[in-house]
Amino acid sequence: MIGKPAALEVSNLRVCYGDTEVLHDVDVTIDPGEIYGLLGPNGAGKTTLIRTICGRVRPARGRIRIAGRETGAEMFRQIGLVPQEIALYPHLTIRENLQVFGRLAGLSSRETETAIDDVSEAANLRARMSDRVDILSGGWKRRANIAAAILHLPALLILDEPMVGVDLEARNGLQSVIQKLSGLGMGILLVTHDLYQAEILCTKVGLMHDGTISPQGYPRELLEEAFQDKGEILLEFGTSPSAAHQHLLRQLGFTPNGGPLSWSLIGDRSPSDLAADLVRASLAPKEVRYRKPNLETLFMRHSQRIGLRMGEDAA
Amino acid sequence: MILAMIRVMTLGLLRDRGALILAFVLPPAIFLIFASIFAATTSDRPQLNIAIAQPGTSPVSLRLEDALRGEPSLRVLDPTRSSRADVARLVENGVADAGIVIGPDPEDDQAPAITVLVEPSKLMAGAMLSGQVQSIVARRLPDLVLSRAAAGVEAAVGGFTPEQAARLSAVVEALSREGRNDGMKGGPGLLETVTVGQSQGADATITYYAGAVAILFLLFSALQNAATLIEERKSGILDRIAAGPAGTDVVIIGKFIFLALLGVIQVALIFAIAALAYDVEVAARIGPWLLTTVAAALASSGLALAVVTVCTTRQQAQTVSTFVVLICSAIGGSMVPRFMMPEWLQHLGRFTPNTWAIEAYYGVLWRGEALSDVLPEIVCLLTMAVAGAVFAIAVSRLRLRF
Repeated sequence: MIGKPAALEVSNLRVCYGDTEVLHDVDVTIDPGEIYGLLGPNGAGKTTLIRTICGRVRPARGRIRIAGRETGAEMFRQIGLVPQEIALYPHLTIRENLQVFGRLAGLSSRETETAIDDVSEAANLRARMSDRVDILSGGWKRRANIAAAILHLPALLILDEPMVGVDLEARNGLQSVIQKLSGLGMGILLVTHDLYQAEILCTKVGLMHDGTISPQGYPRELLEEAFQDKGEILLEFGTSPSAAHQHLLRQLGFTPNGGPLSWSLIGDRSPSDLAADLVRASLAPKEVRYRKPNLETLFMRHSQRIGLRMGEDAA
Repeated sequence: MILAMIRVMTLGLLRDRGALILAFVLPPAIFLIFASIFAATTSDRPQLNIAIAQPGTSPVSLRLEDALRGEPSLRVLDPTRSSRADVARLVENGVADAGIVIGPDPEDDQAPAITVLVEPSKLMAGAMLSGQVQSIVARRLPDLVLSRAAAGVEAAVGGFTPEQAARLSAVVEALSREGRNDGMKGGPGLLETVTVGQSQGADATITYYAGAVAILFLLFSALQNAATLIEERKSGILDRIAAGPAGTDVVIIGKFIFLALLGVIQVALIFAIAALAYDVEVAARIGPWLLTTVAAALASSGLALAVVTVCTTRQQAQTVSTFVVLICSAIGGSMVPRFMMPEWLQHLGRFTPNTWAIEAYYGVLWRGEALSDVLPEIVCLLTMAVAGAVFAIAVSRLRLRF
């Protein structure tokens, strides 16, 4: 991808609805082949950011470049949008849907047919191209939903919660499709609440809250910066600890992990020392786990710091 | 448990302002409109547009014209025409609902004093006008009634004696002066009704209602099919298209054209039946008919898209569509001819495609008008079409921002 312009370059973006500023100085860069996970609670500004990128909302300030283009129809030709809903005509077959969206993406009939062959392969749709969308299962619909957005090989693919309501097998299939598209050089903006999914798929992540994105970067770098080589100890309780016990847990350095039943401690204490402390405090968790801090840990900590309830939204 | 469901429905209604309006404002609004229409049609004082011809200048004929012009239930068009042909033309081309030709000598009992000219699709207007004119003459010109009756009696009995003739003249003069009537009615032969306009195989009423039903159905069909736009909005299809180079304008324009094409086919079927079963002459006037149909279908598409773009849910669109079809059809003449409506409703009807489509169809198929004659109606329909489509595009663009 060397020499290719960034799939998406948003700099210093400010968006206002009337007198209310909803996006403040947002900066995002997605290189070709990169999967950027945009995380954040509802109302953080994710949808407004997508709408602004798609040209539906005019920014008060800032710059948006897609594949090196800043304005005009050619810029929008570089976008493929996969909405959260199944944005397909249910009474048409997959092939017919792709034909419609290919033409709407500005392809000729011949280009559309060639593109349909390519994307049906990339999205593993070949077996059911002649089936009507309304009889397909969730996974097939989701893959067809993605296929309809990539017919014109956009430089930037925006996926808005692409895996909502699909089972594990379908989810794995979708993940492999997204990785395949990234391998084709598309920059992918993946909007998700699923931190686990983001960790598996994304090369870069950003937490959006109150109209800004912070922190953002490569997951490994973010984790190293936040935790160095510390571990995370997780306590799971069957019933909510008493107020006294919760006070004690806080004294030991634990913080609630999305509720009073789950507590987390990040540090370099050895598990045996900690076990002794728990016994002394008469605390009997149902489960004690030790793990390397991950994105969930990072964003949970960040959410607590900024007073958001990320856990509820992620659920 | 049942109460819980009732509560859900009640809260749903109370929290949906659109549904509230439809539930509580729509019924009385529709009642008011229909009451106005039907009250006017069954009233004893329908307001008809009347053209008058006054070939003669006798004192009685001038008094008769004054009496007609002074009648509040008639809207007499200016100026008074000098020939019957002029009035017939105004009636034929729909400018006047009916015409009145005052005889040169109304007192001559050998000829009708008044001739009512009526067009076949407005026979009801002729009947209503005849009744009104007889009543006016009986009230305002009783001397005319008496003198015509006396002439008949005189002929029947072989003449009056000088004394009888003098007494009769005195009474006629007194009635003429006082302008009052003590129970005398206009006698036979005072008034005749003549149908004007070309006669052909088809019935004028069938021709009228072929156009009236065609535009009603066009509206109904376009509104039903345009509602798919709401599903496309809900399913994110519009979001997807809006993000691409095409933008949502193509969706609106594509639907606009499709709905119009579908409408043309549906109307063609209606007129095919009218031609085959009722001899409505479509084939002979296929050019102007097609242009009228295309314009009416485009106007319906534009209106349908404009309505649907402002609706948020399919349910809302269905209710509003029913309302729009009912109102447009009622005040536009698809249910009751507009000449039978009060004046304010006739004016309001001009904002509906029904009025112009019906007028154009009738002009083309019954009056045999040329394309240039129905051009104003077609221009009105096309203006509605463009206005509706532009409005739909603007609202659709605006919706994408929120």
